[in-house]
Amino acid sequence: MLVGGLLLVVAALMAFFPSLGDEGDVDWISIPLVGFPIIVSCILLAFASQESRARKEILAAPIRLFTLAASLIPLAISTALFFDWLILVEWDTLSYNQYALEKEYIWIETIGVSWHVGMDGLSFPMVWLTTFLIPVTIITTWDEKDGATYHPLIMMMGGALIGVFVSLDLFLFYVFWELTLIPMFFLILRWGGKDRRYAAQKFFIYTFCASVIMLLGLITLYFLMPESSSSEGYGSVTKRTFDMTAIFSYAAEQNKGDGVFLGKNLQYILFAMLMIGFLVKLPAVPFHTWLPDAHVQAPTGGSMLLAGVMLKMGAYGMLRLPIAIFPDAMIFYQDVIMAIGLISLVWGAIVCLGQTNLKRMVAYSSVSHMGVILLGIASMQPLGYAAALFMMFAHGIISPMLFAVCGAFKHHYHSMEIGAMRGMAKWSPYLAVYMMFSWMASLGLPLLAGFVAELMLMIAYWPVYGWWILLPGAVLAITAAYYLWSMQRTIFEGGDEGQPPESLHGETPPDITLSENIGMIILAIFTVLFGVFPFIALGMMDDWTVAFFNGVFTRGGI
Amino acid sequence: MSVEVFSNDFWVIFAPELVLVVGLLSIFIVPNLGNTKFRIPLTKKEIPWFLGGRRFKSTGSPAIPGMLATVTLFTAIGMMLIDIIDGGLKGTTVTSGDIQILQIDAFSRFFEILFLATVLLASMASLDRIPAHTFDGKKTLEEMYDNRRQADFYILLLTTAIGMCIVALSRDLFVLFVGLELASLATYVLVGFHKESLAGAESGVKYFIVGSVASGVGLYGLSLLYLEFGTLQLELLSRDWSEGSILGTIALGLVLVGFGFKVSAAPFHFAAPDAYAGANSAVAGVLATASKAMGMIGLIRILLVIALPDAQPGGMEDDVSAMWIYALATLSIVTMTWGNIAALGSTNPKRMLAYSSVAHAGYMMAALTAVGAWRWGEIDAPADYGEAIVAAVLFHMFVLVAFKLGAFLVLGLLEIEGGASRLSSLSGLARRDPLIGTAMFIFMLALAGVPPLAGFVSKFLVVAGIVSTSVGDLSANGGISFSDFHWVWWLALAMFINSAISVFYYLRIGVVMFLDVPEEGRRKALPYGPSIRMSIWICLVATVLLGLSGDTLINMCYRAAESLNLGQY
Repeated sequence: MLVGGLLLVVAALMAFFPSLGDEGDVDWISIPLVGFPIIVSCILLAFASQESRARKEILAAPIRLFTLAASLIPLAISTALFFDWLILVEWDTLSYNQYALEKEYIWIETIGVSWHVGMDGLSFPMVWLTTFLIPVTIITTWDEKDGATYHPLIMMMGGALIGVFVSLDLFLFYVFWELTLIPMFFLILRWGGKDRRYAAQKFFIYTFCASVIMLLGLITLYFLMPESSSSEGYGSVTKRTFDMTAIFSYAAEQNKGDGVFLGKNLQYILFAMLMIGFLVKLPAVPFHTWLPDAHVQAPTGGSMLLAGVMLKMGAYGMLRLPIAIFPDAMIFYQDVIMAIGLISLVWGAIVCLGQTNLKRMVAYSSVSHMGVILLGIASMQPLGYAAALFMMFAHGIISPMLFAVCGAFKHHYHSMEIGAMRGMAKWSPYLAVYMMFSWMASLGLPLLAGFVAELMLMIAYWPVYGWWILLPGAVLAITAAYYLWSMQRTIFEGGDEGQPPESLHGETPPDITLSENIGMIILAIFTVLFGVFPFIALGMMDDWTVAFFNGVFTRGGI
Repeated sequence: MSVEVFSNDFWVIFAPELVLVVGLLSIFIVPNLGNTKFRIPLTKKEIPWFLGGRRFKSTGSPAIPGMLATVTLFTAIGMMLIDIIDGGLKGTTVTSGDIQILQIDAFSRFFEILFLATVLLASMASLDRIPAHTFDGKKTLEEMYDNRRQADFYILLLTTAIGMCIVALSRDLFVLFVGLELASLATYVLVGFHKESLAGAESGVKYFIVGSVASGVGLYGLSLLYLEFGTLQLELLSRDWSEGSILGTIALGLVLVGFGFKVSAAPFHFAAPDAYAGANSAVAGVLATASKAMGMIGLIRILLVIALPDAQPGGMEDDVSAMWIYALATLSIVTMTWGNIAALGSTNPKRMLAYSSVAHAGYMMAALTAVGAWRWGEIDAPADYGEAIVAAVLFHMFVLVAFKLGAFLVLGLLEIEGGASRLSSLSGLARRDPLIGTAMFIFMLALAGVPPLAGFVSKFLVVAGIVSTSVGDLSANGGISFSDFHWVWWLALAMFINSAISVFYYLRIGVVMFLDVPEEGRRKALPYGPSIRMSIWICLVATVLLGLSGDTLINMCYRAAESLNLGQY
């Protein structure tokens, strides 16, 4: 306890250290949001892994508490940044390629790498979402075994994810992009199900393969930028920079009028190389097969962060890099992306119909929802982009709840089969309510967050692709079908007494624990909140979208 | 500045190397100090002679040679570092008459430090790996063997170090070859050091036979070079290279075979996995890092300093001597693919690491190809691109010492308790010793090239170098298309696809360590081994730190590459 208390003090000092400086110059991102979760969890992991098994059991409770307390600090900071409590941030007046709270420190001088962080309307909602999900995940999976290392890993994962969203340097972006793999790999490997070895390796190799191709694209882009030896942040040897803002402004300048940055041929190739990395991460059909495996084997907390934030890294990356730099290639590939999005949407939904495993079904529904994001991107409409952004955000709140329900189901009934338990409403009313709520939210019930995004998408989709809209419309019906079908079989059937799962061997099915209850209630509240008042988050996204279209698609009518 | 060989200045500037020689001699002498007396003939007067007889207890301890070697290497590195900090890298050439023999500059000092650091870590690790036992009490046969061989082992290690230093310093291909053979012969014996075991004997013989054939071919190539140009001086060769005939190109190919074996490039790599598997882990680590770097020096000197193609008016295709670019590009792709695919199937961690080092040789050869293609066609690639790629290769070789040797040393720690030749001997390592397990996992991630570790930065720099030559200054012209890129761009793609394949087998080690149950007889804690653990920590810290802040080292590599004066002749 003493060590834990000391650590907490040190952590709090670390997090608030920047506030001791001059108010305008405070770096609210580097240490408080990114460095703090990663460093603290590394210390905790190093500390906990040295202990014997028995000591770990004793230490689990204080470490858990400490991790929760520590993870509240980034949440407090990001919330305060949203409400302008700490510093006045004009989110709505940022124009294209302008970032709030921007900070830059030279890192590797020879090749022009700097630690460059900042946030705008695209990244801030995702950063807030991540900071929000870390404590919620920790609370929901409070009773996970071996908590002395589990919860720090969750926090480390969160820190790395935030790093992806805030970095404004290609090198830094890639570093965090890959860094997220490592905690997730361990979460699956250590706490996963029966086939965890296969799932963990598949997850790692799939995303790694895709991202090295992306990296090659980034490096090629880097060397196609003009040289400059005098400017800040340019490499002393290579005379080029990995700074995204410099690349964006140069590309935007070249794309003005009739100009095409790098020429069309190169735009198409580089765009495709970058997109491979992002499509696999998203994941889009046909690169999606790692996702169901990873989800089914991953522990609840891992699934929550994986579905909640990690998948959105793909969509975030698309909007941040290839589309912003290569708008002509985006116009060229518009139909391809639309097709991939439609196929993901339809294929994910159809496969869902055939699943008997609850978690696998939810995983495929994620594939389907990621297809919606791709459709929004392919629509090339400001409204469609705002819909994609809001879908990322809404799905980031709803899907953790889906996986929390699946996790609780597995945790208490030792089975993932949809038909294994019937009449759950009798035995565990709370879980039944959460299940119904989250299922409804995911299939897009009005007044819940998912509906807003889907409606916006449909509106944006109509003027571009016309009657093709029937296809996503029909898929929404399929979505309703598989969700309602699984709900009906799990919650209601089985007569008055229900039918407890055989895997319990005649024991009374327990209801969910208090911590799971708290975690899911928080998620439910926010689902309703953003369903009824979407403009809380949507305003910022709208502003970003308008600025993005003004800055990137400068040639107007598409 | 130039210095006549064996003059007074010569001894001053070569003080670090001299320390190595003195240390080597002291390992011969110190363990043999004893109480013999020498009787002056025809008198009864005896004067103490100290060599032989009953050994003194303090100097006769079997632990002494290891200590001496470690201290010697440490002193030599320290002297070199102080020399560098003092700014002693102006470039000093040692001549004998008109002939340049050795040269001290940033390039050679860089490699000397690399070699000595590797051998130092290996010798520190061997203090525990081949433990010395005191003479009291009953000893097993194996312990007695170990005790008697302590001196031999460290003498051979130091000889390797000296040979490598000569390779780094040489300005003449003949001197380079002498150093190469000095180091090679010592490593042949080191590989077969455990001659009682079948694996040890087999690996030693195999390595020796293949290695000596490769050396013979290389030597034949050198003699052809001499036939063509009448000299083996680097400076003269590179000046006259463009006037050479096809004989020079043939000679170049033969010399490539000799060095190709040293860097274990396919198809000359067959002995490497056997050699590494049979050798003591620390020795295998030296082979995979320092010995490979020694071969790379040869390749750099021959290909880049002597035979660097110059831009011809009609593009590079007209230059016959530039043919090696195509050969090397093919070899590099074959090497990296073969290495990675063979590593996928090997269940012996040492063989797996051996194949992975074959793959890494392929990456470095791809980078050398890119330097060769540096001034392709009419496009005027900026002057410092070649240096930047060479710097990336140097950086790669330096950080490779950290994580490849580190991985071998972890296996060495396992060897103390008996064998590390099966994947299952690693199983449960993370549970038995979390820190060592994590260290091994970090080494594996670094080998795979996962950020932010040193392995990522080095691979990144190598690929960036390749891409930079293939792109040149195209961007300045505007209106470019993908077909304007030079074909070396595909080498970068091949390299990345290969490193994606390699993730599979590196991860497998991690999975085995974190998931599997320790095998029978390995349930207890790991052996203590303070000095081998110390070496592992040094490797680990270097792997992480050079990844996070490699700027100083990159600058150092860049200065080393600059001192090669690529394309200046």
